[in-house]
Amino acid sequence: MRVSRRTFIQSASAALVGLSVKSDQQIAGSFVNDSFQLGHKLRDRASFPAPRRVEKHAVVIVGGGIAGLSAAWRLNKRGFRDLVLLEMNDQAGGNSRWGENEITAYPWAAHYVPVPGKSATYVRELFEELGVLKNGQWEERYLCFTPQERLFLYGRWQDGIEPAIALTANDRDQFRRLEDKIHKFRATGRFTVPMEVGLSATTADLDQISFADWLHSQGINSRILSWYMNYCCRDDYGATTEETSAWAGIQYFASREPEEKGPLTWPEGNGWIVRRILERVGNFVRTGQMVHHIAPRGRRVSIYAGDTEYQAEFVIFAAPTFLAPYLVEGMAPLHDFEYSPWLTANLTLERYPDNYGADPTWDNVVVDSSTLGYVDATHQTLRTHLDRTVWTFYWALAGGAPSQKRELLLSKDWNYWKEAIFHDLERVHPDVRKCVSRIDIMRLGHAMARPKTGAIFSEERRNLRRQQGRILFANSDLSGFSIFEEAQFRGVQAAETVLHEAAGIHRP
Amino acid sequence: MLLIAACGLIYELIAGTLASYLLGDSVLQFSTIIGCYLFAMGIGSALSRYIDRGLAYRFVWIELLLGVIGGFSSALLFLAFAYTQGFQLIMYTLVVVIGVLVGLEIPLLMRIVRDRYHFRDVIAHVLTFDYLGALGASLLFPIFLVPYLGLVRSAMLFGVINVAVALWSTFLFANQLGAARSLRILSVVVLCGLGVGLAEAKHITTAAEDNIYADEIIFARDTRYQHIVLTRFKDDIRLFLNSHLQFSSRDEYRYHESLIHPGLSAIPAPRRVLVLGGGDGLAVREILKYPQIESITLVDLDPEMTRLFSTNPMLVALNQKSFLSPRVHVINADAFPWVDSNTDSFDFIVVDFPDPTSYSLGKLYTTAFYKAAARHLSSQGLMVVQSTSPMFARDSYWCIAETLKQAGLKTYPYHVYVPSFGEWGFVLAGFRDYAFPSQVPAGLRFVSVAGMPALFQFPPDMSPMPMPPNRLNDQVLVRAYDQDWKDISH
Repeated sequence: MRVSRRTFIQSASAALVGLSVKSDQQIAGSFVNDSFQLGHKLRDRASFPAPRRVEKHAVVIVGGGIAGLSAAWRLNKRGFRDLVLLEMNDQAGGNSRWGENEITAYPWAAHYVPVPGKSATYVRELFEELGVLKNGQWEERYLCFTPQERLFLYGRWQDGIEPAIALTANDRDQFRRLEDKIHKFRATGRFTVPMEVGLSATTADLDQISFADWLHSQGINSRILSWYMNYCCRDDYGATTEETSAWAGIQYFASREPEEKGPLTWPEGNGWIVRRILERVGNFVRTGQMVHHIAPRGRRVSIYAGDTEYQAEFVIFAAPTFLAPYLVEGMAPLHDFEYSPWLTANLTLERYPDNYGADPTWDNVVVDSSTLGYVDATHQTLRTHLDRTVWTFYWALAGGAPSQKRELLLSKDWNYWKEAIFHDLERVHPDVRKCVSRIDIMRLGHAMARPKTGAIFSEERRNLRRQQGRILFANSDLSGFSIFEEAQFRGVQAAETVLHEAAGIHRP
Repeated sequence: MLLIAACGLIYELIAGTLASYLLGDSVLQFSTIIGCYLFAMGIGSALSRYIDRGLAYRFVWIELLLGVIGGFSSALLFLAFAYTQGFQLIMYTLVVVIGVLVGLEIPLLMRIVRDRYHFRDVIAHVLTFDYLGALGASLLFPIFLVPYLGLVRSAMLFGVINVAVALWSTFLFANQLGAARSLRILSVVVLCGLGVGLAEAKHITTAAEDNIYADEIIFARDTRYQHIVLTRFKDDIRLFLNSHLQFSSRDEYRYHESLIHPGLSAIPAPRRVLVLGGGDGLAVREILKYPQIESITLVDLDPEMTRLFSTNPMLVALNQKSFLSPRVHVINADAFPWVDSNTDSFDFIVVDFPDPTSYSLGKLYTTAFYKAAARHLSSQGLMVVQSTSPMFARDSYWCIAETLKQAGLKTYPYHVYVPSFGEWGFVLAGFRDYAFPSQVPAGLRFVSVAGMPALFQFPPDMSPMPMPPNRLNDQVLVRAYDQDWKDISH
């Protein structure tokens, strides 16, 4: 038995192969759910084919986000079935759309609902119907599991999202003073969810200055507290404190008094709610149907989508309101509607990256980052052990003219945004690139209504909120900001108006 | 010469030590291994007469073989213990093979060098160094090798020395070797293999780890889910999962009898039992003492764990082959989703999870989990929950009891003294009232009908604490548990 040169080389190369198993990992992915091309067709007044058939319905709902779906949910629940919902995209849900891979379902945008207070009666009604609220108890499985949130600052993760470590006496004092002020605003009952319940002219002056100016006027200038206020505005409004009305900034804090440790969340975010609503009203929903023209014709309204002319007694316009002047014949241009562009990404992780400090949580935020951090889609799993996961990465392009940010959003390629996301994440997870196998990115040019100064008490908004005539506006942007409860409230309100007006015509 | 002798002795010492650790009874192990080894050396010496040509060439080969077989012997024995049923057969085979090879060494060496010296000097030299090497090895082994390198790496280190001797011999006896070059290449390859083994040996067992656990580690493995360690000191086997003690074989009967019998004996005609966790099969062993039970379903996350306790002879002896019973069905799954999706009904449910040391494990101690588990209870069914220590983690214990209450169950807390754990607590729960059983299986060492009521008495230092329930969205238990143990250690 001798070692030949061949066997020696074979064993040596086997050893070398063993040493070189590490190789560069390829990261897959693309832009997904792009819809701005469709919107641009409207903006550019592209020509659409003439209708070849006519359909008559009592109600046509335009837009299949939460507002539109909630209108359908309400009508259906009241036994009103002569309706159709037209959704431009291939998937209903709007900002509550979701995706799913072999690991988990995950959200594409809205991913939670704060535990609703007493004034959110429609939300509570919906949640009772869906088994989220049972005998006055919130279903434990739908409340965000422990640990909920963490914040990366001074090189490590701390528990909770409010900065708590290395605060100076001055920081603490300002935190306390701000809390006192918020508490007083809350006690007035003027800041509620939905906002219309408590809205009062007595708070209108707060809508005339920016939140940043208001904070300044109150002597709130702590760097870390200012960061936190800014983060909150970017998170809920896609805008900085300078770009947010003081009324909206105060609303964020004063409107909520959680009765239970929350929020309510699901792996696919608010997509879970959409799924449940679609189980009830899915047969009224037609996706891939872009409405390109709406023409009031006396007692009826004609709605043109694809090759069909829909004739309806009422239109519930639940799509973003800024689209209406491009669609509705004779409608004047709008001036008070501004929207923040957003980018969201879903990252598939083959393993969890290294971690410094507090354990991974549901919502993971980094101080002084221009992004909003990431949410772990598998956080609500009942399993005790997971190897892989999906992170939903949120980035509101705040701090500048929305049109410029939109231009940036649409002009850069997938690779640019992929690198930008890694650049942000690598600050807190140096090895994250090695963990990620896929990044899908969604670009939303008009993701959320921006409650800039004067937006809440704008004349334009107040007129459209009244829901008069045959075209009833229902998008959450009428409130001035895009949150689930506002969308649901306006959708249900529109349905109620239809039911009231149509009572003479239809008797269910 | 010194080195060769030392190597020979080291392998023998390693085999003896390993056998003592793994099988116990060191007198028996060392006696039989030394006997076998010396006898095999005799065979080797006898066989040496049949080698008459190419002495140096064969000597180098023997050194190489010794380096490989001896070097990996310790690692091989650890693996054999963990994965096969024939540990002893493999061990004695190894001892005999090494003994034969070592037995060949000295006669061959004497003959190789006999032309250079007088016969009288050859004998004197060779035997002097042989005995000196043995002295060195026997001192080095307990003082330096075992404490600092551990058994696996010690064997590999001496394997390296054997191969180095082989390599050196190719130069020393170059004039008597035809194929010195290929032997040198082979030596270098083997040397590399042992070098890699030496560097990677910590994955099998590390010297540092030996310091964490009080006793010798006989098994250590990172599974997908946890770090499993078994230690042994004399007849005491201990299981650690992620460094937390799960049982000591000396007193586990107290824990497992108390876990099972107060509940199960109180159920009229139980037929179906569910065990969640309990991958060591010890709870199942107790349940099998009821002949009327038709089926036991055990759900444990880690297949490595249930396999280890189904195959390893020492552990199978401990759980009395409980996993091999036809009445037992083992399912490797995550407990919460399993409980959620399964619809079977059970008369007795045993919830025996690791302590709530993390928010992941804490999910298995929530109102949501207990509600889901309780849906599987038959009308007369009871559930028992391992609930940490009411003495050392008093808040945690009463938090678990409160959580069960909030899940809509009636609770009956009790506790037991387990020397290796201290005071340990359980909570019986169900939709019905509980009455002490009038009979328990024969042959129990701890639980008795007469002693039962005492288990349910809590002295003032363990009496109930007002605690909120543990919920998925507010895991107060994990924080309380962390705090409880911090308070103990400070």
